[in-house]
Amino acid sequence: MSYIPVIGLEIHAELLTNSKIFCSCSAEFGGEQNTRCCPGCSSMPGTLPVLNQTAVKYAIKAGLAMNCDINKFSVFDRKNYFYPDLPKAYQISQLYFPICVNGNIPINIDGKEKNIRLNRIHIEEDAGKLMHDDFNGVSLIDFNRGGIPLIEIVTEPDINSSEEAKAFVEQVSLLLQYTGVCSCKMEQGALRCDVNISLMKSTDTEFGTRVEIKNLNSLKSIVRAIEYEIKRQARLLDNGDRVVQETRRFNDNHGDTKSMRSKEDAHDYRYFPDPDIPQVNLSDEDLEAIRAELPELPNKRLERYINEYDLSKTDAQIIVNQKTVSDFYDETLKEYNNPKSVSNFVIVELLRRVNLGEISMDNLPFSAKDFATLIEMADTDKVSKNDAKKILRLMIETGKSSLDIAKENGFLIVSDMSKVDEIITMVLSENAEAVEQYKNGETKVFGFLMGQCTKKLKGVCTPKVIKETLEAKLK
Amino acid sequence: MDLKMISHLSNLSKLSFTDDELEKFSNDMSSLVKIVDTIKEVDIEYNPIADNKNIYFNDLREDIAKESMATENILKNAINSDNCFVVPKVVE
Amino acid sequence: MNVTNLKIREIRDLLDKKSFSSVELTQAYLDRIKKIDGELQSYITITEDLALNSAKNAQNKIDNGNSSPLCGIPISIKDNICTDGIKTTCGSKSLENFVPPYNATIIDKLNSQGMVMLGKANLDEFAIGSTTQNIFAKTKNPYDFSKVPGGSSGGCAASVSASLCAGSIGSDTGGSLRQPASLCGVTGLRPTYGSVSRYGLVAFASSLDQIGTIAKDAHDCAFLLNSIVGHDDNDATSLKAKTIDFASKIGESIKGMKIAVPKEFYDENNGINPEVKDTVLNAAEKYKEMGAELIECSLPSLKYAVSTYLILSSAEAASNLSRIDGIKYGHRSTKGETFGDIVRNSRTEGFGDEVKRRILLGNFVLSSEQYNDYYERALALRQRFIADYAEIFEKCDVILTPTTLSTATGISENIMTPSNIYLDNICTVTVDIASLPAISTPCGYDSNGMPIGMSIIGKKFDEATIIQLADAFEKSFDAISPKLI
Ligand SMILES: [Mg+2]
Ligand SMILES: [Zn+2]
Repeated sequence: MSYIPVIGLEIHAELLTNSKIFCSCSAEFGGEQNTRCCPGCSSMPGTLPVLNQTAVKYAIKAGLAMNCDINKFSVFDRKNYFYPDLPKAYQISQLYFPICVNGNIPINIDGKEKNIRLNRIHIEEDAGKLMHDDFNGVSLIDFNRGGIPLIEIVTEPDINSSEEAKAFVEQVSLLLQYTGVCSCKMEQGALRCDVNISLMKSTDTEFGTRVEIKNLNSLKSIVRAIEYEIKRQARLLDNGDRVVQETRRFNDNHGDTKSMRSKEDAHDYRYFPDPDIPQVNLSDEDLEAIRAELPELPNKRLERYINEYDLSKTDAQIIVNQKTVSDFYDETLKEYNNPKSVSNFVIVELLRRVNLGEISMDNLPFSAKDFATLIEMADTDKVSKNDAKKILRLMIETGKSSLDIAKENGFLIVSDMSKVDEIITMVLSENAEAVEQYKNGETKVFGFLMGQCTKKLKGVCTPKVIKETLEAKLK
Repeated sequence: MDLKMISHLSNLSKLSFTDDELEKFSNDMSSLVKIVDTIKEVDIEYNPIADNKNIYFNDLREDIAKESMATENILKNAINSDNCFVVPKVVE
Repeated sequence: MNVTNLKIREIRDLLDKKSFSSVELTQAYLDRIKKIDGELQSYITITEDLALNSAKNAQNKIDNGNSSPLCGIPISIKDNICTDGIKTTCGSKSLENFVPPYNATIIDKLNSQGMVMLGKANLDEFAIGSTTQNIFAKTKNPYDFSKVPGGSSGGCAASVSASLCAGSIGSDTGGSLRQPASLCGVTGLRPTYGSVSRYGLVAFASSLDQIGTIAKDAHDCAFLLNSIVGHDDNDATSLKAKTIDFASKIGESIKGMKIAVPKEFYDENNGINPEVKDTVLNAAEKYKEMGAELIECSLPSLKYAVSTYLILSSAEAASNLSRIDGIKYGHRSTKGETFGDIVRNSRTEGFGDEVKRRILLGNFVLSSEQYNDYYERALALRQRFIADYAEIFEKCDVILTPTTLSTATGISENIMTPSNIYLDNICTVTVDIASLPAISTPCGYDSNGMPIGMSIIGKKFDEATIIQLADAFEKSFDAISPKLI
């Protein structure tokens, strides 16, 4: 039988603040074990949380980018449970009055738009990290990550396939990168996803029993976990069995999900307002100031590229899809305002090398200005199109400027017409036989003559000029 | 308060009781609950907004990272190894 | 001159006049502690070397003209306030060997002034309770060693009462400064919630916990408090209000002052001992003679005070004490194969019965099925208490109540029976619930010579007025010191 999957996501995103959410330890990724800890984030008796302003600001920025209502009064609550990575035995989170509510994010699948509604975005703290030592049968706890600010983005159950889930997570990631609040590096755990999933028949009026799959940390595992779970639940329902409400874990190696705990031993988190943290109020001015800090968001950028720069929708989308690429594109345009040509070079040449892993957009070995110089040289026939590609490769390899590379390697075309004339005349006189053959109608020797001229005119003019001059002289 | 509730609460609290203790605590808890039950007779509603301490965005801590504490001080009261706290292997 | 009998202001004066040195003074206290505290057990840890060292440094400061109000003054600190490098046990086996790597904010403040810490004062386990009896030390009442000193700041009160320090810093969650001060015949001051940083005070109930002072009189309490108040960036609940000199109104006339006397506090149906009631009402009459006006009033919600307090404080305590798991610090059980078992066994072995009861109660009132009936309702009642007090303060300047229903009980009698122990807090807890300041000062003695205390409750931030009133009474009152060596 066929079922409709009903899927809701909870996405945890680490915020790019300097300090942790409730203490002044560095919130940077990594670090030697337990070197980014203080009495506060290692939860010593007597310590107290002091809320980081930027964490609140970033949550609001994310909320605005995701079309949320921002709560002007929001409260932090304690979520109580014992786990080795949670040193206070409660996580400070927001239950009753989250910072953002009621958002929505449009996704696009094969040209079809769909709106995914958000229930809320709330602020909370990340937990520490456990490392398992099988040999000694112990787990080691590192609290460096403990207390890094997170937002949790919670959707309504509006997603109906793994494809939509993937598109949604990509869209969230894009918005977070544009607002600059999260690195979205899933391989570093900066973006993690819990999936709630149930199946229903098209004739059903109520959702089926749902299962939660915890802590998926790549797009691939989100897709695989959903697809596995759809099959598993469908098989159960086909056999007339019940789906059990439970939390499951996805195993990346096996590609399957395994039960962690059932509803019966589900936690009672005993949420209550944290008495150590005063409620946060936002004035209209605060909100406006934060809104004013929002950068141009991807949909606006897409419009600009299509409407103002006349890029094709596909090209515009490719550039917008990575904020670093889009920012670099815009910067390059500031130096050399030729949107189409730059877009071609970015998509065909730059992204090729990025995708080959030769360079990373986070850390380009050249500036946008130098990149602009290169494209401009190619466009104005100062270097050939083919040499432009070689120059880019050398820029990556040597870190030298495009102009220097062009000069050093003789790629630079001076377009000295008297010299062109002189050399072509010389070549023709040296190859009188071939000229004779050409004049007798053996036009295929043109290629030979062209080759001889090109050799001698390297760096003097473009092949186009050679061809034109040669044709004129042979007439 | 019955034994089932006490054992549920002791699980939440991460506390163990012997059978004898369970009996005793069950009695103690019953008297405690009797005291706190008096508030059930009041007709009253909580208004979270009234607890507003009027802390505004600008009152919050500025996002400046400062030096952390030396790892040995963080760990000095704990069983530790490899600069980490140590627990029996956690099976997830 | 017996220097240990002096008040803080007198010591300040004499230290500055070089009548004796801080080292001599500190040594005098240490000698007295050695003589008396073996039996009294007001200290859980005595920091003799540190004290003498601090005294030496303080004396240098004084000699160099760099003195400050508390420079060279020996005091005791309740053992739930974290001291860098010095055991902070909270009177619990669960933190028996816990040595904090950091100082509470108030310790840093006091150290920078050259305070001399004589030691850590005993308390009820995690400041939960009112008898100051725990597995490490069972503190006695200086007036009668067979009786309790009250609690949870019983070590603070007993050490001041027995002249084993010049003054003391403790904490008050439901009356923990005022009640022991009352039972030990000294003065205890709980300031407005948030006026002293809680950073480094091991939390019992975060929304109620408040650091305050115990001393020989109200003026000394104010003097001590002046040195520890103020906003702290490490405590988001600490107030940003401008600090004032708490002794500023001392000596001003109280003529025309309106003193509320809410009848429920004096109702014998609520269990007040007639001797206590009469003594406090006599004190009220004395204020009248000084020109104050007594105003009868009512606090009808008082009957819900203990329930509200128990729910709020137990819920917060259950959550606050969860971090004590034996993994990061504190007692770690040798039994158990898993993380869960070790945590469970460490907590089971580390906590005493009373703490366990409060944790169970706290988790009960917070559990998803009970939350609305208990915890949320208690939050609502807190709002009612705040409103009720605000109404009384519209017509009055201060409120006068007994501090306790009766004088100190015998240590052996103090086997926990919920009905009496918990209800005994009725006179003090509403102050904590409503975040108000209050001071308890001795106002008489019962037929056995045990001290009786009265409490003056003030408006938020109006400590100066309650200190003024307590001082006015103290000046007309012949206090009797405990008969010790
Ligand atoms: Mg969460
Ligand atoms: Zn920290």
